[in-house]
Amino acid sequence: MSDKFKTTRRRLLLSAAAIPLVTLAGLTIPVAPAWADDSVLYGPSDPAAKQGGSLTVGSLIEPPSFDIYHQAGEAVNFVAPLMYQTLVYADHDGNPHPLLAESWEVSEDLTEYTFRLRSGVTFHTGQPLEATDVKYGLDYMRNPDNGTIGALDFADLEEVEVVDPLTVVVRLKKPNSAFLITLTHRNGSVVPRNWFDGETSRTELNSKSVGTGPFKLAEFVQNSYMRLQRNPDYWQPGLPYLDEIIINFIPNSAGMLVAARNGRVDMAVLVRPQDADQLKNDTSLTVQRSRSLNQKSLDLDSTYGPLEDERVRRAVALLIDKEAVMQAAISGYGQVLGMMVPGMQDRWGVPLDDLPNQKVDVEKAKALLAEAGHPDGIDLELRTIIGYDWMEPAALTLAQQLQKGGVRVTIERLDLGTWLQNFRAKKMGFTLNDWGTPPDPNILYYRHFHQPPEGADFRNWANADGSRLLDEGRQTGDDGKRREIYNEFQRLLAESVPTVMMFGSDHIVVVSDAVRNHTMHPIGWHFGLVKTWIDQE
Amino acid sequence: MRRFLLFRILASALTLLLASLAVFLMVRAVPGSIVETMMGQMGSTEGEAALRRFFGLDQPVYMQYIDWLSRVLTGDFGVSWRQGSPVLSLVFGAFIVSLQLALMVLVVSSLIGVPLGLLAGYLAGGVIDTIIQSFNVLFLATPVFWLALMLLFGVSALFHWSPPTIYASPGRSLSDNIVILLLPMLSLAFLQIAAYAQFVRQHVVEAMQQEYVRALKARGVPPKVILGKHVLRNILVPLITFMGLIFIQILGGVVVIESIFGLPGLGRLLVNALYARDFPVVQGALAMILVSAILINLLVDVLYHAIDPRLRT
Amino acid sequence: MKTLLDRARRNPALALGVAIAIIIGAAALFPGLFSQTSPLEIDMGRALQPPSTAHPFGTDHVGRDVYSRVVHGAGVTLGIVSGSLALSAIFGGLTGLFAGYLRGFSDLATGQFTGVILSFPPIFLGVMITGILGSSVANLVVAMAIIYFPLFVRVARSSTMVEASRSYTEAAQVLGAGDLRVIFRHLLPNVLPAVLTQYIILFPLALQIQAALGFLGLGVQPPTPDWGASLQESKDYVLFASWTAIFPGLALILSSLAVILIGRGLQSKN
Repeated sequence: MSDKFKTTRRRLLLSAAAIPLVTLAGLTIPVAPAWADDSVLYGPSDPAAKQGGSLTVGSLIEPPSFDIYHQAGEAVNFVAPLMYQTLVYADHDGNPHPLLAESWEVSEDLTEYTFRLRSGVTFHTGQPLEATDVKYGLDYMRNPDNGTIGALDFADLEEVEVVDPLTVVVRLKKPNSAFLITLTHRNGSVVPRNWFDGETSRTELNSKSVGTGPFKLAEFVQNSYMRLQRNPDYWQPGLPYLDEIIINFIPNSAGMLVAARNGRVDMAVLVRPQDADQLKNDTSLTVQRSRSLNQKSLDLDSTYGPLEDERVRRAVALLIDKEAVMQAAISGYGQVLGMMVPGMQDRWGVPLDDLPNQKVDVEKAKALLAEAGHPDGIDLELRTIIGYDWMEPAALTLAQQLQKGGVRVTIERLDLGTWLQNFRAKKMGFTLNDWGTPPDPNILYYRHFHQPPEGADFRNWANADGSRLLDEGRQTGDDGKRREIYNEFQRLLAESVPTVMMFGSDHIVVVSDAVRNHTMHPIGWHFGLVKTWIDQE
Repeated sequence: MRRFLLFRILASALTLLLASLAVFLMVRAVPGSIVETMMGQMGSTEGEAALRRFFGLDQPVYMQYIDWLSRVLTGDFGVSWRQGSPVLSLVFGAFIVSLQLALMVLVVSSLIGVPLGLLAGYLAGGVIDTIIQSFNVLFLATPVFWLALMLLFGVSALFHWSPPTIYASPGRSLSDNIVILLLPMLSLAFLQIAAYAQFVRQHVVEAMQQEYVRALKARGVPPKVILGKHVLRNILVPLITFMGLIFIQILGGVVVIESIFGLPGLGRLLVNALYARDFPVVQGALAMILVSAILINLLVDVLYHAIDPRLRT
Repeated sequence: MKTLLDRARRNPALALGVAIAIIIGAAALFPGLFSQTSPLEIDMGRALQPPSTAHPFGTDHVGRDVYSRVVHGAGVTLGIVSGSLALSAIFGGLTGLFAGYLRGFSDLATGQFTGVILSFPPIFLGVMITGILGSSVANLVVAMAIIYFPLFVRVARSSTMVEASRSYTEAAQVLGAGDLRVIFRHLLPNVLPAVLTQYIILFPLALQIQAALGFLGLGVQPPTPDWGASLQESKDYVLFASWTAIFPGLALILSSLAVILIGRGLQSKN
């Protein structure tokens, strides 16, 4: 089978090297061949780094569980990469690099991916990593009957074939230019083969880890903390630097600030960036700020009352001053968005000024409402989620802005469980939302905006043009062409307004003096802790 | 006594049964389930159905209840849907934290509150009484969680110090444990001291007007003896009831204090489990609270009988 | 009313309670008299300003006037507490009245029912009920009414049982008065004081629960000013804008204080 493919199909060696240049803020930086340099993994290396020590991280969010195949949520994504690894790693600029793979080849039509695995990698269980484990993981994850969270990510997988113990071929039903980046998400984590066959295997993941990552799970105490221990058998020489990471779940920002101030934690990940203001005067603390792949958006369900009419949705967009909402919500610690998240704006985004409906225009909004049959304005219920602190000031500001154009808003707070049920049942209504994405436009848009059954179209947008563009974008390999397609898609989003992407909040991490070489990956997961070290002098 | 106990136990069992049914139905009436919280914004509808089957949520509710109840009767409270760990061990771990906090509050507030109440009652109408009463009224009116916030921030601002944020059990580090529980204990204790003092004062004032106290006073028995030996013994029964009530309250109902100080207690376990729709944990934690309340009430009754021979039948 | 003022003259604590209650009551009913500033208008340009002549209690995280929010919050917070307790008193009182008079099965059933409600921690019950019904002021009132229902039932029931055993009730029964007539004409007026006392005793407790539920983000929806919700919004700013939390807290304390003082003043014999 694989022989036939070798002879009948011309292959293109497509690694990061085959994407010749990446334009970054005007500079062109050649990207090194994928197999050449492991030093890009997990952020920049530090020659001065010393090994040892324990780091306590304060976190406002707590993973519900570490059943990484069945439990969704950013809280899990945060820490999972420290214990579990995928075939591919995406660097801060969104370029794929081999992680558990050593190199890969991609067929020219983007349907066949051949991965060569690293040798000498072992799981935390002690058994060596082999191609069969990769096949098992992908096959288990893509079968929806297993109740897995990533089944839709891998819905286009035709087959996974083990060629030899260190070579695995993944064949797709349709070309997918984002497949490598898809694999960087923890849904592509590799676990020992047949792991989930065990009766208690799901449960066991909360007391031990079974991945190949630099840290092992030592302890997980609900509503309190989790402890990670250095993996002594880790395959990257000299890494990680820390002996131990303790992640302390602190239930509110107030407690977090007090803990950071009084040295109870070495590092605090702030969910509300403006909290950094309260720590500015502490000379023993450094505030790190970096761009994210996150967005705070206002979602408009096209089946919710007057929002069915595109003119009404456009009127809503025309009343929103994103900058002012961002000021109120996160004191300006972020980036105003067009229709792209901050970390991908340079590479994929249309500049804000080139998109329609971005400038506040009350008169035009009123005219549109009148045209749609609402000369006296409309009433909408705006949903926010309890526990997402930025939403309340954002909702208040939005209400005031929308009021000017005759859109009267009442605020309804829901708890996350209720909100998620509405979301998944495609009854999201008119709501604030908070989400992030691995660094590829296909992953960002496809599931949220493509019509069913391929996508979920949570906002009931039902836009055939949009779906066509998303299909094209997914099937196109050339970066330049892809950008054009996604630029067109962003204009369509801005014109038809199924969502208003308002702003992305920056990652704000507060660290004590002793913490060295910590970087935050734009996606917000704790990759950076692998290369963080503590100056114990 | 034996018949009385038997009756109490039967009545309690019925309450327990009805309460478990009520909780079972109520948690399922809250929109959403563990399936949505696990799937988040990802996951397929087939996956949803698979998870629903996995947790037995595809069964009719009465079947789910019968299944749950029959397991519980054999001592099996199941596992957390979120974490997979046994509900009993999760609940018990949190219960110990709450129990310790409640005990500390009980000891501190009764040790301070009861003497204050005795004093105020004995000196009713005087200056000391007025001072104590003003304190009582002020702290009865102060919201506990507001006081907790003020204490946490006040202490941090004044002393550049705050308690450790990782809970340590007494076994792991007794000093850390006490330090961690100090501020939460204080936040709760002020109100309880006031409550005890007021409660005791009222009973002392009533007792003071009774014949036997007047007689003792007339005979020149010192106030210390009158209060400590005679009056206190007479109000012991209502006092113990009162203690039991407050104790139960702290065991199950201080979620806000627990979340301000990051304590892994029963209240937070319960509310977080409800938010996550982790039904077995909600049911297990409530069962724990209910059973302990029943046991404490029983204990109070037994104490009654021990203290007051007149109640013996 | 007249006797209340009369007593207040002789009892300074009661007088203080009445005075605070009058001021807070006036703020609740006529907030416009106390503050002309809007409690809702947000202005990021003046966020988190300390108390000044323009904003005596400072401004909150979105630049709203804290004083105005405290004043306007009186009606909301106290309205919810008094409304839910009233609801509870009416239904609980009537249930207790019937249970205490009829005894037998209905009494046992009521006892079980209230026992079940009482066995849940009140905050949890609040979270659960607002979770089922959805978070709104009306549903919060219902939730709190359910929490306090059993306590009114118990008071009314025991007081009814005492009254029912008295001779005037028996006399009325002998004279052929129907059950309903006995309950409403003879028992109700005598049970009412106990229910009212319970209302006053529970008021500060209910205020705490309401604030705690607001603190958990349940009940009152933004931007409605509510003391508990204000504390929830301001808790994360306490470190450098303590006024946002201090003043709503003080308002809560003063209201409870007034009710406690009045309650004690009325109970004391002089």
